[in-house]
Amino acid sequence: MIIVMEENATEEQIVRVVDSLIKLGFDIHRSTGARYTLLGAVGSRITDPRELELLEGVNKVVRVSAPYKLAARAFKPEGTKIEIGDVTIGGEQVVVMAGPGVVESREQMETIAGRLAKRGVRVLRGGAFRTSDDPYGFQGLGEEGLKLLREVADRHRMLTHSTIFDAAQLPLFARYVDIVQVSERDMRNYALLKEIARLGKPVMLRRGASSTIEETLMAADYVMRCGDHQVIVCERGIRTFETYTRHTLDLSAIPVIKKLSSLPIIVDPSRAMGRRDKVPPMARAAVAAGADGLLIEVHHDPDHALSDGAQSLTLEQFDKLIDQLRLIASAVERSL
Amino acid sequence: MSGESTGEKTIEDWRIRIDEIDLELVKLFNERTQCAIEIGHIKKRLGLEIYSPAREAQVVANVTAANTGPLDAEAIRRLFERVIDEARRIERIEASKEEGSGE
Repeated sequence: MIIVMEENATEEQIVRVVDSLIKLGFDIHRSTGARYTLLGAVGSRITDPRELELLEGVNKVVRVSAPYKLAARAFKPEGTKIEIGDVTIGGEQVVVMAGPGVVESREQMETIAGRLAKRGVRVLRGGAFRTSDDPYGFQGLGEEGLKLLREVADRHRMLTHSTIFDAAQLPLFARYVDIVQVSERDMRNYALLKEIARLGKPVMLRRGASSTIEETLMAADYVMRCGDHQVIVCERGIRTFETYTRHTLDLSAIPVIKKLSSLPIIVDPSRAMGRRDKVPPMARAAVAAGADGLLIEVHHDPDHALSDGAQSLTLEQFDKLIDQLRLIASAVERSL
Repeated sequence: MSGESTGEKTIEDWRIRIDEIDLELVKLFNERTQCAIEIGHIKKRLGLEIYSPAREAQVVANVTAANTGPLDAEAIRRLFERVIDEARRIERIEASKEEGSGE
């Protein structure tokens, strides 16, 4: 951190700031300039710069290092690879995770998973505790849904991916789910993050619609600090002034997070766009931009889906998309 | 080339002299640091703060007053601020060692 003192800061004020910084555990590099005195604060402590800015005589505080540590690229320059069975997330291969928004029935899961598995999809997604924005909508099958997800996934040698909403669901996720997804609403539910970290499973953290990249990586640090370093970041669209699509898919987050963080980044174009005709172009763009994977909603009969049918691709659309994605992946030296 | 010089010093000659001075500085810096470490121990024993702004100001005043150039007073001040920063740091490290926490 660099503290720039006011031009007319008195020696007493400077001494008080130095004293505060030392008490916070920093070593100080003081440089008295012709006009401004600069104080370099060196140390691994994370401090709210605003508290220092409130001290008398301080002009501004410039943070040099990011407020997150474990998620930072510097912590693991070679990148974080998450290995689940024979699937590696964050490696050379772009991992496609697909499936319906919510698990509805065995027939539905079988139909979809069978087709996805044939196209090389190794991760089957499916919600079981849907906290829909619509309080009267389908709320999910609960444990029965997770069980179905697991059974069908096992039959097709796939991994399971589902969203947790409550710490009370932890024992079920421990039993049935390989990749535990944290919803955008819970990204800052630190009590829940702490509990989820105790599962020791890969955690997919969805970036909140109004969360900055920095806030997202800080949430990742929260999970990692609790001992679980297998964190995947998911970009699923942010809130902007544009209302045509549900959210604006922030593709720029891909190269930014790749640079700032060692963590894999997955893109969910379904949720961001909210309508299936807009999903394939954004999925293609995400792979081209360097995403480590995609999370795509697919349904064999989207018009009759119990939830979010409008954003689910048909099986035929998904087939075509996969072919296109393979071409794009090879163009950016990845496989899919 | 130094071989054909007629007594005028070359860049190489000046650099050799700088290297000699640097070694002398390293020795002096460490002697000075040893003094700071001793002070750190005494401060710890007496329960005094590591940071002594009045003393730091006095050190800067001493060295700038003694300065005859060609470095100007501001340059001397900046150089000694770094020396003081490092002394303060090592006093802090020594003091925390004595606390027995091992960190």
